[in-house]
This record gives sequence, C-alpha cells and structure tokens, in this order.
Amino acid sequence: MTETQVHPRSVPLREVERELLRQMKQLQGADERPIQRARMANLVIYCARQERAVQLYDEIPEVAAVHPARVLLLLADEESPSTELKATVLVRPLRIDGRGFGFCEQVTLEVGRGAVHHLPFAARALLIGDLPTNLWWAAPIPPPFAGPILHDLSECVQQIVYDSLGWTDPARAVAAAATWLDRVERAERSGRWRVASDVNWRRLKYWRRMLTQALEGAEDRGLFDSIGEIRVEHGPHAVVQAWMLMSWLTGQLGWKVRGGKVEPGVEMAWSCHNATGEPLVRIVRREEGPHEIQRIRMGFHIDGRDSLLDLFVQDGRRLAARVEGVEEAARTMTIPPQPPAELVGRQLSDRERDPVFRASMGVAQVMARSLLE
Amino acid sequence: MPDDFVSARQAEPDVSKSLLPQSCQLIIFGATGDLSWRKLLPAVYNLNIDGVLPSHFAVVGFGLPAEGQVAGDADDYIRQRAKDGIRRFSRQPLDEDHWADFARALFLVPGSFNDARAYALLKAKIDAVDQQFGIPGSHVFYLAVPPTLIGTCVEHLKTAGLISDPNEPRAFTRVIVEKPIGRDLNSAVDIMQVVGACFAESQTYRIDHYLGKETVQNLLVLRFANSIFEPLWNQKYIDHIQITVAEEEGLAQYDAATGEMLATRAGYYEGIGALRDMVQNHMLQVLCLVAMEPPWSLKPDVVRDAKAGVLNCLRRMTDAEVEKNVLRAQYIEGDINGKRVPGYRKEVRESFEVMKRPLPSESVHSTTETFVAMKLFIDNWRWAGVPFYLRTGKRLPKRASEVAIQFKDVPQILFNDHPDVPLEPTVLSLRVQPEEGLAMRIASKLPGPKVRIYPVKMEFNYSSSFGGTTPEAYERLILDVMAGDATLFMRRDAVEAAWRFVMPILDHWERVRVRDLPEYQCGTWGPVEADRIIAPDGRQWRTL
Repeated sequence: MTETQVHPRSVPLREVERELLRQMKQLQGADERPIQRARMANLVIYCARQERAVQLYDEIPEVAAVHPARVLLLLADEESPSTELKATVLVRPLRIDGRGFGFCEQVTLEVGRGAVHHLPFAARALLIGDLPTNLWWAAPIPPPFAGPILHDLSECVQQIVYDSLGWTDPARAVAAAATWLDRVERAERSGRWRVASDVNWRRLKYWRRMLTQALEGAEDRGLFDSIGEIRVEHGPHAVVQAWMLMSWLTGQLGWKVRGGKVEPGVEMAWSCHNATGEPLVRIVRREEGPHEIQRIRMGFHIDGRDSLLDLFVQDGRRLAARVEGVEEAARTMTIPPQPPAELVGRQLSDRERDPVFRASMGVAQVMARSLLE
Repeated sequence: MPDDFVSARQAEPDVSKSLLPQSCQLIIFGATGDLSWRKLLPAVYNLNIDGVLPSHFAVVGFGLPAEGQVAGDADDYIRQRAKDGIRRFSRQPLDEDHWADFARALFLVPGSFNDARAYALLKAKIDAVDQQFGIPGSHVFYLAVPPTLIGTCVEHLKTAGLISDPNEPRAFTRVIVEKPIGRDLNSAVDIMQVVGACFAESQTYRIDHYLGKETVQNLLVLRFANSIFEPLWNQKYIDHIQITVAEEEGLAQYDAATGEMLATRAGYYEGIGALRDMVQNHMLQVLCLVAMEPPWSLKPDVVRDAKAGVLNCLRRMTDAEVEKNVLRAQYIEGDINGKRVPGYRKEVRESFEVMKRPLPSESVHSTTETFVAMKLFIDNWRWAGVPFYLRTGKRLPKRASEVAIQFKDVPQILFNDHPDVPLEPTVLSLRVQPEEGLAMRIASKLPGPKVRIYPVKMEFNYSSSFGGTTPEAYERLILDVMAGDATLFMRRDAVEAAWRFVMPILDHWERVRVRDLPEYQCGTWGPVEADRIIAPDGRQWRTL
C-alpha cells in the first residue's frame, strides 16, 4: 500500500539523508520498484521570520513543480533566542501537470538569531553534488545589506534570486543593488559562474512587452524626443518595481538623468534630458490597491498637439493601452497570473545573465544617486 | 600462444566465482582494540546472521585491553565487548538467538604480543578450539595491531609453530595485515620482509577495506560488463577524473550532549597525515580500479597485475611538480552538524591530555596535514594527458567518497555556445560511501518553447534498489580470506609501487619544513589554495 503523504520529522542533522530516503521509500511503498531519482537542482531559501517560513512552506511545492529541486528552507528566526540548530525533514509528493507524481525533498533548518552562522555549514552538507544550486533570498533585507550570511550562503550557488518588492529605503537599496550585482556576478571562484536575479524584474515582463508594442514605430515618427513626462502610478510596496520599469524605459529612450527629488511615501521625480528637451519621470504612490504598477501615462507632442499614451491594468487580468483623444479600441494584452512561487520557479530555469536587467539596474543606480545626493 | 591463453582461461574458472569460505578459526590480534570492537566483530556477527560462514568456525581473540588486565573471565570479557560493539555498529541489529550462537564460538586469550608464554597459551587455545569445533587446523590470523608490532607478532607465531606450510593441502594458515603498511617505503619494505620471512605471499592478505566496498567492486562490473562505457574510457573522451574521500570526522569523537572527548585517533594520526592515511593506500587502490586495463580473467593475480600496471605508470613528481600539483592543509575551528568543533592543533593537545601522554615537541605546532589535494598523471596510452585530481580531508562538510569521471565538453556550438553559462559536462559519479550507488549527470531540455538546457542527475542507489543493507566491506574481505581469494587485497609489489609514487612528495615536505600549513574551516570543502591545483586548468573541484 503506497502512502500518499508522510509527516515532517525532526531529526539530528547527520540523520537527514537517511530520513529523506526513508520517507521517499515510504511514499513509494515497501514492495514496489526501487527508488530512482532524477534530480535537477538545489534550492536554498533563506528567511528571517517564522510567518514568512510558513508562507514559504506553502509555496515550495509550487516552486518545485515548476523547477524540481531539493529544497533547504533556512529560517534564522529573529525572534528566537535558540542556539540549537533544528532540522525537519519532509518528502512532499507533487502532482505535476495533473499527471504522475514527483517528489520534493524538503529540509527545514531552523536557528535562533544568535546561531545564524551555523546555517551555511549545515546547508553545505546537504546540497546534492554536481547540480546547480540556487539561493532564494526571501528575507526583507536587500541583499547588498545582508552581510556575511548571504556571502557565506552564496559561496557555492550559481544563481541568487531575490525580490525587491517591498524594499524599504528604496533609494539606498537600489543604489547598492547595482554595485552588489557587479560584485556578486564577478566574484567567481575557480571558473564557476554566478548570476543574480530579481523576481520583481520578471513581473515587469508584460509591462515591458506592452510598452514596446505601444511605442513600436514611435522613434521613426520622432515621438521619443517629444515625450514631456512619464508618470507611473503604483500600489503600496511596488515603488522599486515602478522604478525598475522607468530605469529600463529611460535607458531604452536614450535619456540621461540630470537630477531627482523624493517626497517620501508620495512621489519620486527625475528630470532627464534628451535630444530636444528635459522630460520628467515621476513615480507616484497610490495609497491603496495591489502591490504592483497600476498605470503609466506618457505625455507627448505629435502633429502639433499634445497627446497622452495611457497604459493601465484592466480588470486585473489585462494590460490596456490607448492614446487619449483617439477613437480606437484600447490595445490589450492578457497577463497570466504570476504567483510569487511560480515566478521564482521560472526564474530558476533561466540561468543566463540578463543584459537588459543589468543595464536597467545601471540606470536605476544613477537615478538613486541623484536622490541621495 | 593465443590458443594456450584461451585454454588456460577455460580450464580454470574464475576464483571469485568458484571458491567458498573454508572451515577455519579466525584469530584476531588486537581483539580488545577499537577496530575489532567497531568493525571486525560486528562483521563476523553479520556473516553469521547471513549464514555464509563455514560450518566449522570459531573466533579467538588475542591481546590485552587498554586497562592492562582482563578482570574476570576472559571469554566473558570479549563476549561483552563484542555484544556492545554489535549493538552500536552492526549493520544488522543484535538478535539474541543469533548472538547466543555467535557467542559460544567466541573466545579470548589475554596476553601481550611480545610475551612468548602468551603465544603458548594461544596455541593451546587454538588447538582446543579446533578440537571442540571440528576445525581441520586451518587458521586465519588477523593482525589488527600497529605496524610496529607486526614483526613481533609474526615472529612469535612462527616460533610457536602456528604457521603451516603454504603447500599443506589439508589445512591452511593465512595472515591479514592491516594498513598502514609502514610510514614510508623503507619501513613498508621492512614490514613486508619480516612478514615474508614467515608467510608466503600466497598466505598474506594486505587489507584495504575500501576495496571491499560494493561500489569499488562494482567499478569492474560497470566498466567491463556494460558495453557503453569501456569504449569511452580513455583520453579521447574523458576530460579528467576526480577522486574524493571526504570525512566528516576529525581526530577525536565527542559526546554529543556533554562535549566530552570519547575517543581519539591522535596516537596514530598525528605525524602520519592524510597522504599516508588515505592517498597512499585507499585512493591509489581505487585509482587502479578506475584506470587499469581490462584483465583477461578475474583470477587474483591477473587483476592484481592489471592494477600494478597503473601504479607503475604513475608519473613521479619532481620537487617543482610537488609544489605545483600537491597541496596540504590543516583544519581550524568550524562547524559540523550544527556544532562548533575545534581545530586540529587543539584536538591534538587535548587528545594527548586525555591519553595521559606527553605531547611530542613536534606536535606542539603540528604540521600534520588533514587535507591533501593533488593532480597526477598516468603515463600510458589510455590516459596520456588526462589529469586525475585526488582530494581527501577530515572535517569536510559531509562524509562522502566518490569517483567522478568527467567527459569532455561538447563543442561550443549549438547548445553550448553561451559564454556566460557553459553547459555542465557529462559526469558519471560512483559513490563509495555513505550511500553506495552511481549517478549520471546529463544535459536535458527543459519543457517549453525556448531551448533551455539544464543538468539532470539520474541516480541509482544500492540500498534502495536491491533492498536490505549492503554488506560491510570487512564482511566481504574476511570471507574472501577464508575462501583464499586475494583479488581485493594488495600485493607486495603494489604496496611498494604506491609508496614509490608517494615518497617524492613526503621527501619534499620533509625538506621544506613549514611552520604553518594552509588552513580551512571545519565544515568547508577545504582551503581556497586547493583551487590553484585545478583552476589554472579551467576546471573546478566538484561539490559533493
């Protein structure tokens, strides 16, 4: 009789591999075929709060369904004084595409704030050799400010995935992130490659596609140089997302940042210059709404009159673009649901450096410095 | 000539397939010691449970406990100690019925190895046990004693008349010699000469327990029973080979709860180091199995000839090459299994305190290496230009021993044309411990419209594939000695050849005495300096 579920079990660290095998066997059934495993990757997840760990616990099967991996969930509980490292093992059955089952080996390693230094050692011992290792930095602190723990954890990883959604002190974080990206991607030991990726950048995929399509042919018509202002509206916690989209867009438009100012919690604005003028980029926070970009309005001058390109989220499922004053149905693009776990899972499969992301982060850094000066 | 060759093979079935263990006594020298407690007695117990021991069989231990004298009945003493060892370390749990059967054939003769009277008592006991169990006078002497005592033991055995003629048809005498065989070439030759003066080569079994592991044996099966591997097994298709023996343990063992030192190997290991302890024997033996030419039969000497062929082709290193291709290091304080563990030098100091022995002056700032990494070459047609990277260390993140064969990269076109993310090469890895098995890493396309390549590791695990538990290496090897099969044991010429390869390294280290070695934290994969051996070749150490 095959069991469809096993229960998490706390074991001493040195017993983890044995327990994984035992649970795997239990899931497969005593008299059935031997365990044959096809493994693809290691995923180390780091978080610093119990409630975040609970959330991640629920998301792990979704990540593993997209990108099978052995998962090491590291919890450095800021509120716990414990100095003991606790290991909990769980093999989770996965239903993939509604067809057969796969397994996700999950090991949760938990320590209190005073024993965080144990985690890189423990994680190192549990990685599957010969396979890429990814680190999902799921702590709220931006990677550049994470200190030795991130440095130690990233020693043997090929990809660091983080999410800039919700970063506090965005100007400082964005300014540091670009430098950190340079450092982390260059700090290759003995020929190993390493990339870092922001899930928030991945969220922008459809916005970028929509903008590209909406502005198709605009350069030839001289529209780029006639844009006077771009205004982005975003929901709470999405300021960095809006910022990255704007750094990408200004980079694409060939604008140079001249200076910026910030009204904390309300608006950021930058003056730029291009071939013909000094366009303005504004990021405006909405008090309510989803944690994402809500609207982009681009004012420009065409055929002797002012006009406005308006891009917005329609019904929560589509992006729409229309030019004000033009009697035309809005162009729309469906946005598939982008749950965080699936975004991370997909990011794990993308291992190549994204030069567009890196270029955008370079522009974002210039924008950030202009605010900090 | 070819006809003779073929007929010889047909006339003599392979030894390993035909021989069964013969009735005998196993006499363990050092029966009260650590190896016997942890490995040997549990191994014999498991063989008993599995029903593979000969029908007429008994075990006689010889030696004195650490405390000097046996309090009470000697047989009771060894039975209690064996029971304790079986309870802690046996592959199969202690079963009272089997235990009773096993215990009635287990005896101890307490005595010192250099006391002639003790050998007289031993002889009397052996004769009595032969009588009692109907054993035809065949004896296997297992010398689980330090190398310095081997000469004393065999000479006393000879004087006591306990060694039969190698051509004696009715009863045999065999001797098992534990590693390390010497601490350099000269001392190894001395030991082998003294053993050779008392035992014929055919009676001598130099044990290296690594060779008894299933995966090591499976190396031959993998190479020579599968048609896809052997054609690729050469410099044309293989980029390099890495052999790693990673130990999680350090010099000492501690009580998990109190942190108190329970046991230490300092007495043996300090001054010996990883090169002598691991590379000279285990790793070079495994290397032989990986690199040898196909033997024409599984007869012991045919296989051993093939292995010796590899050792004889190892490129000896000059001083400059030792500097460039060999790195030694020592562990410092770090973290293992969630606990802080001390560095090597501190462990040495504490070990000597626990052993109540004065710390030797050269150990005050010990330069004994606990980690060795090296690059070596085998100068023959098959392996010309293929580097073999060997790496072993204590206090590494996990206990793992693997042989990894990395095949050459595909050309940098089609799927391997991205400079940032080169494709991971195909790797066949054979895991010797802890979970014996093999794995193949191949590149696979991820599902989806984009062509994205990702490595996939296909794994085969012995214990989960075949059920039950894999026999311990010692079980297999003890059985082989009883059967007279020397295939998995080291021949004298092989031991000497291995030492000849290692000596230039030891000699160089002796000449360029250093005050401190490169360091690595416990729980890491070794010092960063190890990269200098492999990184300039555009390769990297594997993470296991």
